[in-house]
Amino acid sequence: MFKKVFRVEGGNFQKAGSVSKQIKKILKQLNLDGELIWRAMIIAYEAEINAVLYAHECQVSLEITAEKIYMRFKDKGPGIPDISLAMTEGYSTATRAMRERGFGAGLGLPNIRKTSDHFEITSTVGVGTTLDIDLFLN
Amino acid sequence: MKYLTHSSHSIMIDKELCTGCVVCTLACPVQAIRVRDGKAEVNKSELCIDCGECLRVCPEQAVKSMTLHAEDLTGYKVLVALPSPALYAQFGDLYTPNDILLALRKIGFHKVCDLALNCEMVLIAIGEYLRSHTAVRPMLSNFCPAVTRLILKNYPKLIDHIIPIETPREIAADQMRRKIMRERGIESGEIGVFHITPCPAKMISITDPVGVEKSNLDGAIAIRDLYVRLRKALKEIEDDWILQKSSGVGISWATGQASMRGLPSMTSLSVTGVGDVIQILDDVEAEHLGDVDYLELSICPGGCVGGPLVVQNKHVAASHIANLVEQYGVRSRVDPRKIERQLEQTYLLDQKKFLPQEPEPLDTDLTRALEKMAKIEEYRSLLPGRQCGACGAPSCEALAEDIVKGEAHLSDCIFERIKELEHALEGDRGGVESGDPE
Ligand SMILES: Nc1ncnc2c1ncn2[C@@H]1O[C@H](COP(=O)(O)OP(=O)(O)OP(=O)(O)O)[C@@H](O)[C@H]1O
Ligand code: SF4
Ligand SMILES: [Mg+2]
Repeated sequence: MFKKVFRVEGGNFQKAGSVSKQIKKILKQLNLDGELIWRAMIIAYEAEINAVLYAHECQVSLEITAEKIYMRFKDKGPGIPDISLAMTEGYSTATRAMRERGFGAGLGLPNIRKTSDHFEITSTVGVGTTLDIDLFLN
Repeated sequence: MKYLTHSSHSIMIDKELCTGCVVCTLACPVQAIRVRDGKAEVNKSELCIDCGECLRVCPEQAVKSMTLHAEDLTGYKVLVALPSPALYAQFGDLYTPNDILLALRKIGFHKVCDLALNCEMVLIAIGEYLRSHTAVRPMLSNFCPAVTRLILKNYPKLIDHIIPIETPREIAADQMRRKIMRERGIESGEIGVFHITPCPAKMISITDPVGVEKSNLDGAIAIRDLYVRLRKALKEIEDDWILQKSSGVGISWATGQASMRGLPSMTSLSVTGVGDVIQILDDVEAEHLGDVDYLELSICPGGCVGGPLVVQNKHVAASHIANLVEQYGVRSRVDPRKIERQLEQTYLLDQKKFLPQEPEPLDTDLTRALEKMAKIEEYRSLLPGRQCGACGAPSCEALAEDIVKGEAHLSDCIFERIKELEHALEGDRGGVESGDPE
């Protein structure tokens, strides 16, 4: 098993995407299937961007075994008051400034769920949000 | 052997001049360079994209471009020059593109081609292609060989996005060659077609093209290597032939902004500089770039005028290009109907078959690869994280990787070495104290 932890800083647009890039590099070095790598990267990218946009900081744990890729995004932040609403395609609380940067279509979370083999989200208002994601190798 | 040659790359490092300073190692955007035994080498040759960044930053000028020199152009009956539009920006506002084309004749090229005009043809073809093929977006430009290599190596998923229209230089070379063969009744091999280039990457796209057997060109010569002779020739021009047929549209190819002018009905973005290109390709790969039809991508900052083999400062050059665009307008003389016909005959279509060139994985066996990856992490956590490059690797993480691959040692890290020395010294002192009861 391989394990690595990354940190995402909320509000740091300069660095946005760098964790998903590192994850992509690791998966490539492991010679995993291209389609799987791309799915993992899309998920990591969307989750990382959400952390940058909405959270104060986020801890990303990556675990890879012969069976699956597991990713956990655990952030400290405002949390999500209505999860099923947040999971609806097109729902977004992105500000105008965020939209001007090309975010805020309200597709990130639905996309993460669609792209993963197993997806769980938990959130506590005022504390933070956690995403647990599995991608199976076969 | 004086040179460490990398036959399939556009640069080589002169071992005698290299001081092993790690400036290139740290600058390389794909971490392909290592300093070993005090000398830099493109050690991870399979990662190199020929961007020329090392050549640009080397303080000792030890990184040499593999481009040709005037002496190399022997054995041809007819010499043809295809100058990058960036050449038009090298001599100030005093000389027109036409003067520069005449000067190329004066220094010995029998035929010169206003490549900027071929750029206009290609732009019309790109516009036509984008109109009739809407499934894949954004399409990516293919004229910068370093960008193409970057995509093949790091973004294989985006290969389908590379616009399948042949590059202006390849089209121009093919047309010139056929025309001269017809007119003079000579063989193809007797004609030497050369690109006058702002970058070493063009040379490698000729000697070692990707996706195709052979280039239509015979080589590339650096702008800076012809500069002095051209400057002199410019003062002595007597001819008044009109060789320039391009408008500002083709000329603005030099700053990587031709699509803005030549594809008015498309949403296109001009992105230049290796960092920005990588960033936008990341966005495209993550499907996070809004509605964009076409990305005009140049590895060099500011487009080809920012190439490592030019003479003029890139900002000054960009202002010259802007003046030329104003002077020659944005109405191309190329007949779009002719381009449509050529496209129908598949003439302008790029026949290249691109294959991914991904770097080797740690191991083809997943369990072993996972073990190695864990080892890399272990070494990385041992290393101090100063990212100083003194070990000869571009980062602590890269050294950790090299160690696991058996190419380096933990003691290559200068801080590890200091630790070892301190241990040894303590050991010595310990020995002295115990042996000396005073
Ligand atoms: N980590 C988080 N912390 C707090 N709120 C979040 C977090 N992630 C998502 N949200 C909330 O859920 C909403 C929907 O998120 P989602 O990623 O689906 O869309 P978006 O980020 O608004 O737009 P897009 O991802 O398409 O750019 C967000 O607008 C935000 O209100
Ligand atoms: S941007 Fe132009 S000058 Fe620079 S490497 Fe690419 S093709 Fe060469
Ligand atoms: Mg989002």
